[in-house]
Amino acid sequence: MKKIYKYGILVITFAFLGYNSVYFKKLSEIQSQDKVEIDYNAYADSLYYKGMFESNHAVELSDLLSAIRSDPEHAFTEFGNRLGIGNSAYFLVKCQGTISAMHSDGFQITMVNGEIIDINTKYIFGNALRDASGLVKLTDFKTNSEFNRVSEALNTLIRTTILPPVLEQLNNGEPVRIIGAMKLNKKELDNPDLEITPSQIIPE
Amino acid sequence: MKWCCIGLLPLFLIACQANSNGQEESPKVAVVISTLNNPWFVVLAESAAENAHSLGYEAKIFDSQNNPAIESDNFENLIASGYDAILFNPTDADGSIGNILKAKAAGVPVFCMDREVNSDDAATSQILSDNYSGCVEIGVKFVKALEGQGKYVELLGLVGDNNTWARSGGFHSVVDVFPDLQMVAQQSADFDRNKALEVLETILQAQPDIKAVFCGNDAMAMGAFQALQAAGKSDQVKVFGFDGAADVIEKIAEGKIVATGMQYPKVMAKTAAGYADEYFKGRRDFPQRVPVEVELVDADNVKEYLQ
Repeated sequence: MKKIYKYGILVITFAFLGYNSVYFKKLSEIQSQDKVEIDYNAYADSLYYKGMFESNHAVELSDLLSAIRSDPEHAFTEFGNRLGIGNSAYFLVKCQGTISAMHSDGFQITMVNGEIIDINTKYIFGNALRDASGLVKLTDFKTNSEFNRVSEALNTLIRTTILPPVLEQLNNGEPVRIIGAMKLNKKELDNPDLEITPSQIIPE
Repeated sequence: MKWCCIGLLPLFLIACQANSNGQEESPKVAVVISTLNNPWFVVLAESAAENAHSLGYEAKIFDSQNNPAIESDNFENLIASGYDAILFNPTDADGSIGNILKAKAAGVPVFCMDREVNSDDAATSQILSDNYSGCVEIGVKFVKALEGQGKYVELLGLVGDNNTWARSGGFHSVVDVFPDLQMVAQQSADFDRNKALEVLETILQAQPDIKAVFCGNDAMAMGAFQALQAAGKSDQVKVFGFDGAADVIEKIAEGKIVATGMQYPKVMAKTAAGYADEYFKGRRDFPQRVPVEVELVDADNVKEYLQ
């Protein structure tokens, strides 16, 4: 009879320990706990209105071009932003000019010194504006994919909300002020592609 | 037996002494590559090993054959064999993290090359092509070449590889904004030329009126071009690749492929080997991710890239 009690206690003990030593949870629950969902649209809003809009670190385009002609390495270090390794960098630039041509991808302006600049208002994609702003660090995000989603939200904001009402007002021959990103490649400085991806277009 | 062991002990101690008196062994570097079946990865592996050699280290290449189980075996073997650093091209963004952590636990630094893993505290550093930005540029070129309309096909790489989705994501961040561009098929061809040929041949039977094919690498772009050639459509369907492989660069110069993204495997390999060298010399603060620029190659600038 004593044996029955003994084995009974042993079985209950093993059952108790076994039950409490194993836990089952849904994989999706665990994964969702690990992920902190970022509101990229809110982030882009704040980056644009509180960061880029108020920032005054854009370099005058004519100053940048003369700095590049005299000492390209210094100009890239001083004004450019290059994440990682590469020949090109993004610059946040500002310039004034008169609209000299309108085309399907945007328009052209002619600056006072006669330099013609393309303003690309159709293909606002990629990391040009995010990187030119210099306000977002790669280390702020766990993966490159998260980091790139900041660009997508920022580009969408500018392409679909900021620019369309201004673009409707623009006409050939009118003066405008532009702030935006320019990509320059060290290998192509003899004949650089002077195109700005705008973050702001201000009719004057 | 006991006396035999005791008798051998002095010999063992003498051997150890001789080793410690001799020159200190230089660190050993393992280069673990996802696959050596693709010439692009052969360049990456050989460059990494050559750079490690030129810095004075013994280096050996391990082929994971695109198989996480083989990769895991490689890691166990090389940790047991006393390798001191790993220049690593992972097979899987999630599946390879465990292997990196094993090495980390054994005190072996891991420098990822080209393929990102989904962890920002496993590898010592990750030197990665900026696939997203490269494919944004290809996406813009794609929209312009198709004048914003038409049916197209996307051939994806390995679905477990982050590069596949970074490239696809960059491309779609542009193309999806243009509603008249319609993707009629999106299929994986595992970054493989023959598979791409087979996949596109099948797709063409159901979708004969496509205007373009976007491929996640150049091997698949060559396979896609072959399939189009066999179907007599290579003049009507525009092909886009990614990698900057020599055969695709030649095809761009001939006007047969529209564009590719030039990656720099030698730069990534050199940077990874350099980081390992710095690690051995005491450096410990490495950037977790180092993007390496990808350049768009098309008919306008192909001359610069012809070998």
